[in-house]
Amino acid sequence: MPHVEVLPNSATAAAPGWTYVVDTGYDPSRVAINPKDRKRAAARTAGRCGDNELTARQQAAIARRIGELDRDNDPKQQIGIPGKSAPAKTANARRILQSARQIKHWLDEEEALVQQGPAPRIAAAAPRTAASTRKLSTVPPTPLEATPGPMSVVLTPRPSTAREEGDLLLLTENSMAPPPSKAELHVLLSALPLSYAESFATLPADHPPQRQFCDNCGYWGKIKCLKCGARICGLECKEAHESTRCLKWA
Amino acid sequence: MAPKGSRKFSSSLPTQTLVLDNGAYTLKVGVVPAGSADLTYNDCSVAPNCIARSNRDKRTYVSSELSNCNDFGELAFRRPVEKGFIVNWEAQKAIWEHEFFDAKAGEGLRCDPRESNLLLTEKPNCPSLLQKNCDEIIFEQFEFARYYRCVGPTLNAYHQLNPNSLSALPQECLLIIDTSYSDTTILPLYSGQLIQSALRRLTVGGKLLTNYLKELSSLRHYNMMEETHLLNEIKEAVSFVAPSTQQFSQDLERTWKGRVGDRRNVDPTIVLDYVLPDYEHFSHGYARPHDPTKSRMRRGLQPPQGPREDLLPLGNERFAVPELLFHPTDIGIQEPGLPETIMQSVAVLPEALKVGMLANVVIVGGNSLIPGFMERLESELRALVPAEYDLNISRAEDPIKHTWLGAAKFASQTELLKEALVEKAEYDERGSGWLARKFAGGDMK
Repeated sequence: MPHVEVLPNSATAAAPGWTYVVDTGYDPSRVAINPKDRKRAAARTAGRCGDNELTARQQAAIARRIGELDRDNDPKQQIGIPGKSAPAKTANARRILQSARQIKHWLDEEEALVQQGPAPRIAAAAPRTAASTRKLSTVPPTPLEATPGPMSVVLTPRPSTAREEGDLLLLTENSMAPPPSKAELHVLLSALPLSYAESFATLPADHPPQRQFCDNCGYWGKIKCLKCGARICGLECKEAHESTRCLKWA
Repeated sequence: MAPKGSRKFSSSLPTQTLVLDNGAYTLKVGVVPAGSADLTYNDCSVAPNCIARSNRDKRTYVSSELSNCNDFGELAFRRPVEKGFIVNWEAQKAIWEHEFFDAKAGEGLRCDPRESNLLLTEKPNCPSLLQKNCDEIIFEQFEFARYYRCVGPTLNAYHQLNPNSLSALPQECLLIIDTSYSDTTILPLYSGQLIQSALRRLTVGGKLLTNYLKELSSLRHYNMMEETHLLNEIKEAVSFVAPSTQQFSQDLERTWKGRVGDRRNVDPTIVLDYVLPDYEHFSHGYARPHDPTKSRMRRGLQPPQGPREDLLPLGNERFAVPELLFHPTDIGIQEPGLPETIMQSVAVLPEALKVGMLANVVIVGGNSLIPGFMERLESELRALVPAEYDLNISRAEDPIKHTWLGAAKFASQTELLKEALVEKAEYDERGSGWLARKFAGGDMK
């Protein structure tokens, strides 16, 4: 969906006298001090905060939904191992086999270890630098965090001279002309693995706005539900939405 | 089991290697004799990596037993691998024992760990504590004679090995896109070594797509939240990737039912009816062109004669679900699409490597089998890659078994394998900390 932005109209001629203007703005002086319809009044003022901004509650709901979609095992289900299996042979093995931890526990612990310092991680050659500033969660990154990749290994690119077509073909065929120096390669190859949370791609700061879909039928979500902020495509889906999913975030 | 006392490598390697690509959805496994040439995809067998339990027939199916199952209704799964990493060793042990250590295990796969090498693959960025657990179980519980663990897709660099040449060199520059069940990872490889700092990951994998389709179908039609198996089947049968973002918008228009008073006819080339299995007469559903009269019937009357059938109409779900690979923000995942992720990955590399990587892109993993995936990825990536760069993208012939085959070719090279493997006696002497450092490439000889 193309991003349409309404530019402010600068045609304000300073003319004497008076003129008719279209009254579109929100005028607090005209709102009743004790409005009857509190919900509507709240929605009207809340709607001012921008189209693509989400409340903390909505963000939490989205994060929960993604977590749900990305889950491997349902913690509510208990499926036993059928038959008799060989017993654990050592104490270590018994401890590991009986562990009931889930992946999130392991990832949290790993994250805690990384925060503590590089001690438990395997020391190779290059020290971790900017890598640790990369985003650690799925919240939208700030522009600072969105700089892609660890900067320590971004090597100064050679000045790009105008290469000939034939030369370039040769280059791609051999993959190696002119090759990076041994030192460069060593730095690249001996870099420490990123932690799991650091390995995710980051959304650039200037990404196009999120496409919105109807909560009910999947068509473009052109209308925002006043109660919960979900998108719907039209009246028909609005009814379906209100009878099923609406007020989910309320 | 007894330690051999000597920490020198004894020259007699066990002659066979169990090559195991232990995925979250399926395990790809085969026994590779030393020095074997002409390995093909047929040497690999694929088994589901899960224990399934049905509350209807009160039976539990372990891994390949699932092929005996006729009633997939409300089948619940227990998967030992979460987000690509082996987490639950109790279940994983039961599955491995069932698949290749048991007396009843399949003919070609049965092996005695004490007389075999193990080549085990893992996902990149595995938490070090889970790696330690894995090493300890392999040596202390299963007691493999020798063992090597590495990031699976890196072994794809060994596909072009010439079995006769002594100087077996891996492919120099290779960019592997592994779009698997758990997630999608971009792995730049230099001479078979992973460039760790350039690795990038996307949350979107086959599991997320199936669950998303499950959620959409449950919201719009029937409650199918317990029917993971069925929805996965439907996803594999009907989903496709729209050729471009513009085409996505057009398809969305064509599958729209319109407003009240402004009804549109949906495009019959896109909208399908999926006939749901009843697990009584037939256990697999099938898709057929959408018939509006039938779906109206569904609401009230069933046809007076003939078997009752339940239809799941599929419109924009067909292409909106795999679209998540290219627009994860559609459901609020704060990540760029796959082509941008690839560019983020290679942006870390020096110029010469960047050229080499983009000229050798290979896609592995099951999501690449979705129709239209390759075309969309290629056209969007081409638009992002500078015009003077060569871009070659290919999908592996069998994207599911490809990593296994690379690993098998690696394992068939005695010299390469000998270098990598660690002996049990050595582990017993030096412990798991040392082993973790060795597998991570630290110089701890």
